[in-house]
Amino acid sequence: MIRTESLHKRYGEKLAVDDVSFTAPDGRITGLLGPNGAGKTTTLRMISTLVRPDRGRAEVDGHDAQTDRDGVLRRLGILPDARGLYPRLTARENVRYFGRLQDVAEDELEREMTRLFDLLDMGELADRRVHGFSQGERMKVAIARALIHRPQNVVLDEPTNGLDVMSTRAMRDLVRRLRDEGRCVVFSSHVMQEVAALCDEIVVVARGRVVARGTPDALRDQTGNRDLEEAFVAIIGSEEGLGA
Amino acid sequence: MKLRHAMVVLRKELVDALRDKRSLLSALVFPLVGPLLVVVMFRMIIEQQDVDEPVQLPVVGAEHAPGLVDFLERHEIEVMPPPDDPHEAVRTGAAKAVLVIPAEYPTRFREGRAAELELLVDRSRKESRSSVQRVERAVEGFSGQLGTMRLLARGVDPQLARPVALARVDLATPQQRAADILGMIPMFVAMAAFIGGLYVATDGTAGERERGSLEPLLVNPVDRRALAGGKWLATAALSAGSVVLTLVTSGIALRQTPLSELGIDVQFSAMDALQLAIVMLPMSLLAAGLQLVVATFARSFREAQTYLSLFMFLPMLPGMYMTTASLDPAPWMSFVPILGQQVLMTAIIRGEGLDPAALAIASTMAIAVGLMCVLWTARLFGRERIIYGN
Repeated sequence: MIRTESLHKRYGEKLAVDDVSFTAPDGRITGLLGPNGAGKTTTLRMISTLVRPDRGRAEVDGHDAQTDRDGVLRRLGILPDARGLYPRLTARENVRYFGRLQDVAEDELEREMTRLFDLLDMGELADRRVHGFSQGERMKVAIARALIHRPQNVVLDEPTNGLDVMSTRAMRDLVRRLRDEGRCVVFSSHVMQEVAALCDEIVVVARGRVVARGTPDALRDQTGNRDLEEAFVAIIGSEEGLGA
Repeated sequence: MKLRHAMVVLRKELVDALRDKRSLLSALVFPLVGPLLVVVMFRMIIEQQDVDEPVQLPVVGAEHAPGLVDFLERHEIEVMPPPDDPHEAVRTGAAKAVLVIPAEYPTRFREGRAAELELLVDRSRKESRSSVQRVERAVEGFSGQLGTMRLLARGVDPQLARPVALARVDLATPQQRAADILGMIPMFVAMAAFIGGLYVATDGTAGERERGSLEPLLVNPVDRRALAGGKWLATAALSAGSVVLTLVTSGIALRQTPLSELGIDVQFSAMDALQLAIVMLPMSLLAAGLQLVVATFARSFREAQTYLSLFMFLPMLPGMYMTTASLDPAPWMSFVPILGQQVLMTAIIRGEGLDPAALAIASTMAIAVGLMCVLWTARLFGRERIIYGN
């Protein structure tokens, strides 16, 4: 379970995150939906311990992101905004490196890699050097790397950005699968259709604030709009950043 | 902090670096080029020794100036019969210079007017420069001698015509110049320490951020000191490899150079090389630490590379300082990293052996500074500005 409590973060003049609170329970997909620059990435960075909030707190399974960094990172699989790989290493070596840093035992590490590569349908990619991989192939490696320690909680920052249709479908299947395994999944997106198609719970963020939250149905009811896109526009008050 | 994590990072960085052709090339090329330069310079000195042999000078119209010819012969300039085409001979390098004595020379000479001579030279030919200088000096000497005699004949003190007298005293013997060149080996070895790990240090810091793998790396539950430490050891390992390679190639190069022809008795033994390696290992740790922290601060991979290329010249500073300030090795120098190592290396090269106390101090200082840089790098890895580069 991931919980944020009144997170604030200011960069110079700009208030990037201005009071963001939400709870993402286990076994649910929680979507952070908002236009570009709304504060989604900063919020996720505060959950992943790398950015210190000016106020408020973030916790993962009860571990505080600022005081118990290792406790949080052990329970969290993160696909950050930056998802670079080591081009001279093979896919397997990339994943193995992070597995070892996560203290996964060697035999378990190899087993888990086989399982993940299978799941992500990247059998023939596993032992090729990452240099020259396509966007989708890279994403698969980055995902495997983030999940290698079997984290209970998964945070994905715009996971379908730059992916083609097939890769996007595979990503969605994976996210549902993680949910069905009982994990807590938080993912951010600026694409309304994607959030609608996937999420059990939507947290709408605009200008650093949570402006609405609830199930897709609840959001429709709340705004009186049958169409979720209309509901979204009504909530954030502009059409900015709605492009699919 | 878990040492195991540092080892995981070290292993990954080494595998990564050894697959990187650029990093390997930079670690390999310099150790080959440096010692080669030393050999080339030695060869040049040995060739310059030939200077004391008589200069062969073709002279056109030698019959017009028997006095001059006699003077030249007495000053180790062998007067030769002129070639058919003097200009062509100089241009092609067949003759280093040709002296032309015009037919009116005797007349002008007798009348006490300046008798003009022509010396055909090709200034673009470096190898003829010293011969030309010797001929010029001889002719000037002849002219000066005659002038003095003419003044004396007229009852004038010749010193009136020479208000200033400059005497050049050249103290450099070929042996000393050779010793200077030998003294460059410690500098090459020190530079190798800063070159070997350059790409690893850059790739593991600024490069890691630029390719977007720093943020994912930092969301592992690992002490940042272990991350920085692993990268440090990987950088130092390549640096040390470069140092060892430079020592080996220097040893081979010196053995191939006929130093005895210069009358130098240099024993660059395997033992010396081993001692130099022991002196330099802490320096690799220092160089790696400095490079790591500087490259972490850099805003981009390129910027980091630029900074670190400048750092390559850091080991040249102590040597230059000691030369310009004409300092002799002193005990305090052991406490200054890099300088301490350089003093130790110079002593080994001169065959004075290795002072264990100075080695202990210099090594401790170098490792301490290196370690501080690593801790600093670890702190930087926790800063948002460094992680996200804005």
